[in-house]
Amino acid sequence: MKIACGIWLALMAMVQAAGLDFPETFKELHVPASATKVNVDFEFTNRSDKPLSIIKFDSTCSCMAVRIQDGKLRYAPGESGLVRAEFDMGNFSGAIDKVVVLWVDKDAADKPSIVLKVRVIIPVLVALEPKTVKWDLNGTAEPQAIRITMHHEKPIRVTSVQSSSAAFKCELKTIKEGASYDVIVTPLDIKKPGLGIFRIETDCDIAKHRIQQAFGTVRRPMPANSEFKP
Amino acid sequence: MNSWGQLAVIAAVSLLAAGGTFWIKGPPNRLFRCDPASLKQDEVCLESIPAGADVLWVDARSRRDWEKSGVPGSLLWNLDPAEDMQAFEAAAAVRVVATPRIIVYCGDENCGVSRQIAGRIRGLDLGAEVFVLRGGWRALREAGRVKGF
Repeated sequence: MKIACGIWLALMAMVQAAGLDFPETFKELHVPASATKVNVDFEFTNRSDKPLSIIKFDSTCSCMAVRIQDGKLRYAPGESGLVRAEFDMGNFSGAIDKVVVLWVDKDAADKPSIVLKVRVIIPVLVALEPKTVKWDLNGTAEPQAIRITMHHEKPIRVTSVQSSSAAFKCELKTIKEGASYDVIVTPLDIKKPGLGIFRIETDCDIAKHRIQQAFGTVRRPMPANSEFKP
Repeated sequence: MNSWGQLAVIAAVSLLAAGGTFWIKGPPNRLFRCDPASLKQDEVCLESIPAGADVLWVDARSRRDWEKSGVPGSLLWNLDPAEDMQAFEAAAAVRVVATPRIIVYCGDENCGVSRQIAGRIRGLDLGAEVFVLRGGWRALREAGRVKGF
């Protein structure tokens, strides 16, 4: 009986045996503001005692392509490989998290056993604070400022500010040429809800950082408690 | 009885028990189940959203998937580099003024894009309440709340 139980336990242990071992499953990269593509490599080793196959891999985003070194999908015990995630930066800035998932052998379709995470941090060259200025409906229409701060080795000048709505007046005020500006926004009608989108154009030498937008709203106050939370 | 015979008996008993369970209780339920106790602070279960609630749904999947099987009336906002992020911001801002409660969903629990989109919507600082749907599109599909299903 002891032998039978031993065989049974050994079989169960084989089922639960370690698979592909990734020393790092999370990587963070700081990239230059002008970067358009970035590659992130994840090395792995088959630590189990049987060959393992990667049956499927996915990046969950069209902005990231996933490749397995040499297109090799089957790995003998002790054999190593590499997963490369190729991230297309597009017009992103700030922190972007991306996930790469791999299904190994008998993983269920909705339960990939390997989840790799990539965090790419792209500098924000033109920062707006706050992004939105808000007024309560029927409140006071005091002017509010949106501070524009440049974070680049070269000066960046604001060349124009335009409002999408005649219900908001906006004026550009230079704090320090090439470094800091204020957009002063004033709602012209505080008695009805409204939205203004302010397009801020700069002379930034990196195209994807050149145009920014900020918002102004006249809104009804939000209810204090959400009706959704369980 | 030798060891192999005993093993065969154990295996047979296990199989019988498994078969009996399947016969009595049916196949395993593979539908997505949202456990409110395991929700993160910004997550919400589909079951807790009243039917007809005044909600702006934001689809964080690809444009193709959104067009084919998004929630009717939803807004698209993903992290596809081919898309115009500022156009997404502007479209969201316009809708948020009228509907300041937002729920973001992506393909499934592995996607992770919905939480980033929720963060970007909060970053607009429009004063909206922004949640992430636990279970994503899969939960919506199983509840029959998307186009084409």
